[in-house]
Amino acid sequence: MKKLRFLAPVLVLLLTAACAGPKDLIVLLPDENGKVGKVIVQSTDGNQVVLDTALASAQVSTGGAKKNDISQGQVDTIFNEALAAQPPKPMSLTLYFNTGGTVLTEKSKPVLKNLFDIVAARQAVEVQVTGHTDTFGYANNNDKLSLKRAKSVAKMLIEQGIKTNRVRAAGRGERELLVPTKDGVRESRNRRVEVIVR
Amino acid sequence: MLKNVTTFAIVFAIYILSSGAGLADIGQIKILKGDVKIVRAENTIAAKAGDALEQFDTLVTGPASSVGMTFIDGTRFSAGPNSVVELSRFKFDTTTHEGEFQTSVKKGTLAVISGQIAKKSPTAMTVRTPASILGVRGTRFLVQVGQGN
Repeated sequence: MKKLRFLAPVLVLLLTAACAGPKDLIVLLPDENGKVGKVIVQSTDGNQVVLDTALASAQVSTGGAKKNDISQGQVDTIFNEALAAQPPKPMSLTLYFNTGGTVLTEKSKPVLKNLFDIVAARQAVEVQVTGHTDTFGYANNNDKLSLKRAKSVAKMLIEQGIKTNRVRAAGRGERELLVPTKDGVRESRNRRVEVIVR
Repeated sequence: MLKNVTTFAIVFAIYILSSGAGLADIGQIKILKGDVKIVRAENTIAAKAGDALEQFDTLVTGPASSVGMTFIDGTRFSAGPNSVVELSRFKFDTTTHEGEFQTSVKKGTLAVISGQIAKKSPTAMTVRTPASILGVRGTRFLVQVGQGN
């Protein structure tokens, strides 16, 4: 028993050393629109720290999670290279079509030009093109028309120099109306191709 | 019965053939610097920009190296040098936006901007470090494992 009492301070020292070991650091940042989200840090030891302000940070070690603020300078030093490799934000835009075919509306022509510019500026770009129709005409014809619309956009992108395997085209017919209508209704806002660029 | 089984086998074979290589893809590498590897099951692949990512992949960056990737739900990751990041679980329904995304940072640095999975459900996205589990409610945050090492 006496021996044990002698060992106690040594144990405390050893435990302290373990706590001072490698730590995990978590930092919350504002997103690209300046909005600050929330991350809940649960240490495996059982305590919890909530990060919900810009530059709030948590340090987690075997001793649990501790909250403190970090400076922008420290963030830049530690995370510089990780932040520099962040890919640009995925984008989505919509192109509209004249009734019954694959002719773009006049208003959509500058949007198409904008799409070309966005796509050209990205590395290893992926483009997902999904065609839609309004409810005018037979549903099975609209399936074909929606795919034709998507493919016409895909073709224009490929003509701009994007590799064929970087573009995926699909047709959803009249299944996903932007503006709900009864069957057999011509609705310009439903005649569209939705494009996602990643 | 036998006929049913045969029909099923044929339909299944066609399904596999038509679905192509893209079926298991959960994201892609967009930006890459230096020496980056993807560890996939038993294989270690030298990664390049445009490579597809799959569930269970582990990304490994060397010294002075980094990698940026986007996932199909719009989440973005970028890892700094000497990092090991495991994509432990990824499920995403492109129609409902429901899904599940679990990552494990074993070493190094990771910058995250969450996407549709975290937006749809507050408990759907978690990031593990050796000493903690992060519940991601959104959106942009940083993780360093082994601080001071």
